[in-house]
Amino acid sequence: MVLTFIDKTGASVLSALDTAGDFATLAGRTFVAIFKRPFDGKNLLNQFQAVGVHSLPVVILTSVAVSMVFAVQLAFGFRQFQAEGLAAQVEGLAIVRELGPVITGLMLSGRIGSAMAAELGTMQVTEQIDALECLATDPIHYLFVPRFLASIVVVPLLTVISIYVGFWGGYMILVGVEGQSAFVYSHEFYKLLAFRDLRIALYKALVFGMIIALVGCWKGYRTQGGAEGVGNAPTSSVVTSSLWILISDFFLTKLLLV
Amino acid sequence: MALIDVVNLSKAFGPKVVLSNVNLQVQEGESLVVLGGSGTGKTVLLRNIMGLLTPDAGHVAIEGKIIAQLKREELFKVRQSIGMCFQMAALFDSMTVFENVAFGLRRHLEISEEEVRSRVDECLSMVGMKGTDKLKPAELSGGMKRRVGFARAIALKPKILLFDEPTTGLDPVMTDVIGRVILDLKHELGVTTITITHDLKSAFEIADRIALLFRGECIACEPPDAFKANPHPVIQQFLRGDADGPFLQDPPPPKRKSQEAHP
Repeated sequence: MVLTFIDKTGASVLSALDTAGDFATLAGRTFVAIFKRPFDGKNLLNQFQAVGVHSLPVVILTSVAVSMVFAVQLAFGFRQFQAEGLAAQVEGLAIVRELGPVITGLMLSGRIGSAMAAELGTMQVTEQIDALECLATDPIHYLFVPRFLASIVVVPLLTVISIYVGFWGGYMILVGVEGQSAFVYSHEFYKLLAFRDLRIALYKALVFGMIIALVGCWKGYRTQGGAEGVGNAPTSSVVTSSLWILISDFFLTKLLLV
Repeated sequence: MALIDVVNLSKAFGPKVVLSNVNLQVQEGESLVVLGGSGTGKTVLLRNIMGLLTPDAGHVAIEGKIIAQLKREELFKVRQSIGMCFQMAALFDSMTVFENVAFGLRRHLEISEEEVRSRVDECLSMVGMKGTDKLKPAELSGGMKRRVGFARAIALKPKILLFDEPTTGLDPVMTDVIGRVILDLKHELGVTTITITHDLKSAFEIADRIALLFRGECIACEPPDAFKANPHPVIQQFLRGDADGPFLQDPPPPKRKSQEAHP
């Protein structure tokens, strides 16, 4: 009984290490492949469009919704002790430091990470990735690199847009509904912020972009088992990348705020 | 020296041994057809030749280069001289027919777009698919997809062509069309080919030699006439297409007499 338990635990640990090693190897190969030739500009532009342009509505809508809800909560909370003026300051702090990058990261892991896993998963089970290999093309270079580059550029850009939209979401509630002065809101929103906060948000977005692309491509590339496997790949990709976004957010915040 | 040399090749997936000590030599310009029942390791053999799988024992050498020992860049160089035609064509479904056939040309040759177009047209003509260049794979029938797959495989003018069950799932007429296309490619390009098929008619038309894989082992590899005359019970059963005999591991259900079935 004890031996069985040790046996099972050992097997689980080995399996987890195997999975982590596989991910690390593919991530390493992606970094190396960035500098390899030929450079496929058309493929990269297609990815910029898929990852960036098509994600814009989702990011805008979620940022507006989250910043408005947050403003409603702040206005209600601070009204309890007659400190409504602090609402705009806390709104600014929360949106720039946390809500902007994390909401963008989570939404994009659902939108583009899952799409990458599904696309590569389908290519894997229909032998299209083998066909790439047979046409003397490294799938990591052809499939991973453009998605990775598009993600690390686009996720920070969309985070900036999310922050900008978040400002207006808070504006609509605190100025439009709560009746605060527009001038005061605009001034107070940035009061607790420094340029460092935007830099931290962009660092976070960069890391989230890496996580989304690498996890999405990895899950797709390792798809097995036909339609069921293709169905599981996006789900697994979203869960894994969302989890890593939240875990890395904690460590990045601790690391970068010191 | 053989162009393709398969030496003592063994491959297992977990406890299931798929290939066991397979030896095959294919000379330049020769056409080898590999026959065998489902799950006897025919596709695994091709995937080992392409370096998509690593042998557990033995090796595959192309022009003397052992595939499993090559660095990735060297492997890609060797793969440029091999055209692989997949069972279900494996066309890139996000691309048009033209882009599929042009894929290898654009990535590996520094030629103008005009030259790419001319080569793609030439390849599509060879497989009887001229005028389909703007279509997407989803708009093609099974037989058309296979032929576009052939065109993509021959675009880089390979020395070797590998066909993985090119006629599976096609109607008898389309099977004959595909057989003729393979025969045409063999004569026009003079390439070395390995074809895996279940279709005996086209096998005997295409082959210079026929090999039969049985339970992971190559039990015969000889010219078509000698293969037909081989008294080995497995070969004779395979040629007859009869369920009774040593070919199947599990015995088939007994044959019903027609009176019993329709009293």
